[in-house]
Amino acid sequence: MPKRKLDPLPSAAFQILLALVDEDLHGYGIMRQVSDQTDGRMRLGPGTLYSSIRTLVEEKLIEEVDPREGAKLGQERRRYYRLTSAGRRLARSEAERLADLLRVARTRKILRGDYV
Amino acid sequence: MSEKIYAYLLHLYPPHFRETYGDAALQLFRDRVRDERGFFLTLRLWLDLLADLAVSIQREHRRYVQPAFAGARAQEHLGGTPSFQVLEVEPLRLRALLFGSVLSLAAFSGCSFLIDHAGRNVALTPWGAESQPGPGAARSATGLPPATPGTTNARVPAAERRRVIDAVIANLKAYYIDPDASKKIADVLLRHEERGDYTAATSGAAFADLLTRQMRGVTHDMHLDVVYSEVALPDPRPGSASEDLASYRAAMQQQNCTFGKAEVLPHNIGYLKLNSFPEPSICESVAKAAMASLNDVDAVVFDLLDNRGGDPDMVMLIAAYLFDQPEYMYNPRENMTERCWTRSPVPGNKLANKPVYVLISRRTFSGAEHFSYDLKMLKRATLVGETTGGATDVGAFHRIDDHFGMGIRETRAINPYSEPDWAVTGVEPDVKVKAEDALETAKKLAENRLLAKQANPR
Repeated sequence: MPKRKLDPLPSAAFQILLALVDEDLHGYGIMRQVSDQTDGRMRLGPGTLYSSIRTLVEEKLIEEVDPREGAKLGQERRRYYRLTSAGRRLARSEAERLADLLRVARTRKILRGDYV
Repeated sequence: MSEKIYAYLLHLYPPHFRETYGDAALQLFRDRVRDERGFFLTLRLWLDLLADLAVSIQREHRRYVQPAFAGARAQEHLGGTPSFQVLEVEPLRLRALLFGSVLSLAAFSGCSFLIDHAGRNVALTPWGAESQPGPGAARSATGLPPATPGTTNARVPAAERRRVIDAVIANLKAYYIDPDASKKIADVLLRHEERGDYTAATSGAAFADLLTRQMRGVTHDMHLDVVYSEVALPDPRPGSASEDLASYRAAMQQQNCTFGKAEVLPHNIGYLKLNSFPEPSICESVAKAAMASLNDVDAVVFDLLDNRGGDPDMVMLIAAYLFDQPEYMYNPRENMTERCWTRSPVPGNKLANKPVYVLISRRTFSGAEHFSYDLKMLKRATLVGETTGGATDVGAFHRIDDHFGMGIRETRAINPYSEPDWAVTGVEPDVKVKAEDALETAKKLAENRLLAKQANPR
């Protein structure tokens, strides 16, 4: 059984899935969203971003959608990406895995606080 | 200059990556250069890019030398001779061989079946047979089931094509406000049909799209369109309207009448996310509750970034809160009727004199454009974001058959403003920013205005 390309899920790929949870975004939109949701700690460069996007598309975790309706001729056309249901499931299971990990860390008293 | 450097650096990636994502990567670079100015940010940008190149170039090259991804390229290396590459180096197992044989047989049988039947056009097109409702329905600008390009890869039979064209011409002749334009459109469509230009349309949606473009090419009237729907268009039989209303009511109840977040942001700025303007007969109480929840704010932001329009009566209902006396709201569907005046003042309402910001985007359509356009013209709101879609539907819909219909504008209301309405050009924002930045910008504008007012209460 060949190993899946995204097992374990790389951090950049997980962040991209999270960025697409609420809305379809183009590459720069994803980059900005990832930067926002990591408080600027992760700024995906074009190579990493599109390399990850390519893998996520191949694994059917995200899909390319038609350029936004209403875009007029002459306006720049960008590729937008959307989370698939498989991508949403994977993002959820990864979040749960991380939450479990945090619970363990808390029980070992590495971290403080009540919330996971 | 810096763009050229980055374009050269992109050549370090494998050709497949460049072909697929080269332009997008360059666009992302341009976006960052535009947004990240100043010495520190530029330095950070280049450090980011160099780090990114160092990591991703070798990853992409490794990806392409892996056999799993080299199959397609192998053909190029062998001068076009078909070849195979195996994904794994272990010998094939018996189970895999058996599975492969069964799969090959199934594929062979499937191809034979298709070759045998495709020539007869049996059951592969929706034409002729009563179509069954299917999945995948979106909504078009007319608010109807959708034009879904490419969903049906079947050419429209000549007889059907001719029937649609004749119906389009007849409808234009009967209903369109400009008889000369109707005649011109008829000539254009018939000329294209005679020349066989429509035989190239690969689907009903493509055919409808082509007709729409040609009609608009003559008139520049974005309210004209031909729509193709894979799902059978509703037949106006007795009782169907009440069924539609029941489904609409259920959908609205399920979605809280498309009213999204209504909340009070810092600095006492009210925020309302509204994704359509639903029918007041069903959603009036939800709308009133949402507006009441913002009654005590000092400024209001209406987020219409994803608003696809809806019912003009709901536009008027919400707009009524923004004035302390009846105000005329131009609507291209109506001619100075009573419905064009807001029912202001709304008892108990305190929003009539509060600053208003409306967030708009390319996805903002129809009723949402009505709301934005009039508030802008009345200087009652500051519009923040992108130019709106500008393809609003103010026409009546005419069903041609189960799959085709058309929208025609039948009234020409007098626009009291010197500017054109939003039908073709869209509504221009007062403050032009990207949709994703619209909320932050509006919040800042509102904050500054409120702070200025506090400093100088007069």
